[in-house]
Amino acid sequence: MLKISDLTARVAGKEILTGVNLTVNAGEVHAIMGPNGSGKSTLAQVLAGREDYEVTRGSVTFEGQDLLAMRAEERARAGLFLGFQYPVEIPGVNNVYLLKAALNAKRKAAGEPEVDAYEFLALIRQKMKFMQMSESFLTRGVNEGFSGGEKKRNEVLQMLVLEPKLAILDETDSGLDIDALKVVATGVNSLRDPARAVVLVTHYQRLLDYVIPDQVHVLSGGRIVKSGDKSLAHELERRGYDWVMGAQVA
Amino acid sequence: MSAALRSFETQWRTRAPDALQAIREAAMERFLKLGLPSLRDETWRYTDLRALGAQSYREAGCETSSTATPSAAALSAATPSASLSLVNAGQHAATLTMINGCPVLDADLPEINGIEINSIRELFNQDPARLRGFFEPASDADQRRWVLLNTALFIDGLYLKITRPVSTPIVIRHVSTGDGAQAAHPRVIIDASPGASATVIEHHLSEGDITPLNNSNTHIALGKGAQLEHYRVFASGAGATHLDALDIDQAQDSLCRQFTIALGGGLVRSSLEARLSQPGASLESYSLLVGHQDRHVDCVNIVTHAAPNTQSRQTARAIAGDVSRVIFNSKVIVNAGANGADSKQSCRGLLLSPNAEIDTRPQLEIHADEVKCAHGATTGRLDPDMLFYMLSRGLDRETAQSLLVYAFLADVLTGMSVTSARSAIENALISQLPDSQTLRKFR
Repeated sequence: MLKISDLTARVAGKEILTGVNLTVNAGEVHAIMGPNGSGKSTLAQVLAGREDYEVTRGSVTFEGQDLLAMRAEERARAGLFLGFQYPVEIPGVNNVYLLKAALNAKRKAAGEPEVDAYEFLALIRQKMKFMQMSESFLTRGVNEGFSGGEKKRNEVLQMLVLEPKLAILDETDSGLDIDALKVVATGVNSLRDPARAVVLVTHYQRLLDYVIPDQVHVLSGGRIVKSGDKSLAHELERRGYDWVMGAQVA
Repeated sequence: MSAALRSFETQWRTRAPDALQAIREAAMERFLKLGLPSLRDETWRYTDLRALGAQSYREAGCETSSTATPSAAALSAATPSASLSLVNAGQHAATLTMINGCPVLDADLPEINGIEINSIRELFNQDPARLRGFFEPASDADQRRWVLLNTALFIDGLYLKITRPVSTPIVIRHVSTGDGAQAAHPRVIIDASPGASATVIEHHLSEGDITPLNNSNTHIALGKGAQLEHYRVFASGAGATHLDALDIDQAQDSLCRQFTIALGGGLVRSSLEARLSQPGASLESYSLLVGHQDRHVDCVNIVTHAAPNTQSRQTARAIAGDVSRVIFNSKVIVNAGANGADSKQSCRGLLLSPNAEIDTRPQLEIHADEVKCAHGATTGRLDPDMLFYMLSRGLDRETAQSLLVYAFLADVLTGMSVTSARSAIENALISQLPDSQTLRKFR
């Protein structure tokens, strides 16, 4: 599904990714962990197509297509979804409008008819119930005045409505209390499917108690320095990132 | 003396005197003495009128191009260029029409309980004392130059006396028709008695792109506790030059909600001068200024807190695309003794093109001690984080940009309580944004 080879990228002239290699197959859940400043969020943003992040080397293919040649909106329509670490507030643009526009853009790209307004509302109500979100989300501006937890739920809601092939969730677990974390985890698990893949970018192992990853990678200094199964996450939790970084130096 | 000034003087000399002669004469004398405003004048520094001054002007008559004897019926057949209907027929609003400033007062005009509708000229002949106060020259300030000319040369005008609370909106449809070598001076007076309330929508449009120079003036007077929601919508053709002055006098505890919407015209200069004369008077001013193609929009607000415990809120949203230029110049003056004055100015500009320009200048002049005055002005491009967020959801760039522009204007649009006017304005607005088809679906 996703193949990243020797990816290097710069932000404001500073090299953040220094050679990332990663392969994610359909049906898999990968966790990318790492200390602050290791390049986790940069990787997520580069994959989503943020233009002010400059790719200087390497390649990324998504379902056999050259991902780096696609614009952000094309990536989204092709089935890539980024759950933002800090979802932006867009006052004046209705939450539901945005979601409907997003779904229709995807359907249009796939040659499908636009979603019926009534069906759409029914769909979104069902997903909101699943995510334990109040009806007021329907009338509010995108993330406007949402608490940190509400913003994260909203990201997962969008993901559930758009049903991406590949979901990259950038610290969707941070700032959540345990109940919200469980709701978010249930949302992510509901998307697990042999035809889909999920990449969880996270600082802590906590989320991985609820969303069991197939593989865990440690990103440090802009590249993946260690990979393993879910036990790696537990080991990291116990021994800290210094352990991996120490091992790297040694 | 410029060609324009000479031609106005000629018009003045050839006019038959009427009941307003003394007032007109004084105004004309001062206008000729002061001359046209120039870039050296404080409130005109962004708008160059030299090309306008080099032209000669004839009087724009009361006739439309389609008929020599205007009637409401003939007018409804005329198709103004930017025809946007601001109130649904179902709301039973009264629509009054003025052609180049001349009111079309048919016998079949609807009677609205609580509103007297009069021709200014006729009323002046009958009872000059009632109107004299509206023609007192306020000052020699540069922003009042064209009002002097209006006073001297206006043919007729509309006087609305609101005596009670009126719930249906009243629409004044200003139709501008003729050629660029003509000038019209529309005049409207809205006089609300104590406790009265109404909504008045002044809708300026034109027959075709080329129109006479339009020098309009509206004077609003609100009695104690009176409330008015007033709209002025500039929606003339792309070749139109429109200079509009709005004067507002507010008595105790009155509330004026004013919307200035610039959606049309080539050169639009609008001024608002409000005087909060008595305690408790409150003004909400909303400006929605849209620069499109090579339009030039210059908006000047001067709000004077002349009494204690008066309140003003100014919210301006300017967007400029293509090679347009939008200026928002606002000044709040708090007179000595007007303690407890509370004012806020919020002006935000959004540039949609590297060749467009927005100038904002919020100013404060405070002569009292106990006041609360805040102002803020920002101008920028669309927020890249917001844009990326929307793109990352699959929206195409044009749709995302349009939605963001629309959102940017929401603070003004949501303040409008006449929903049909709001949706008509939104429609007209959207047609000037990229990807209007997509946007319409999301309203």
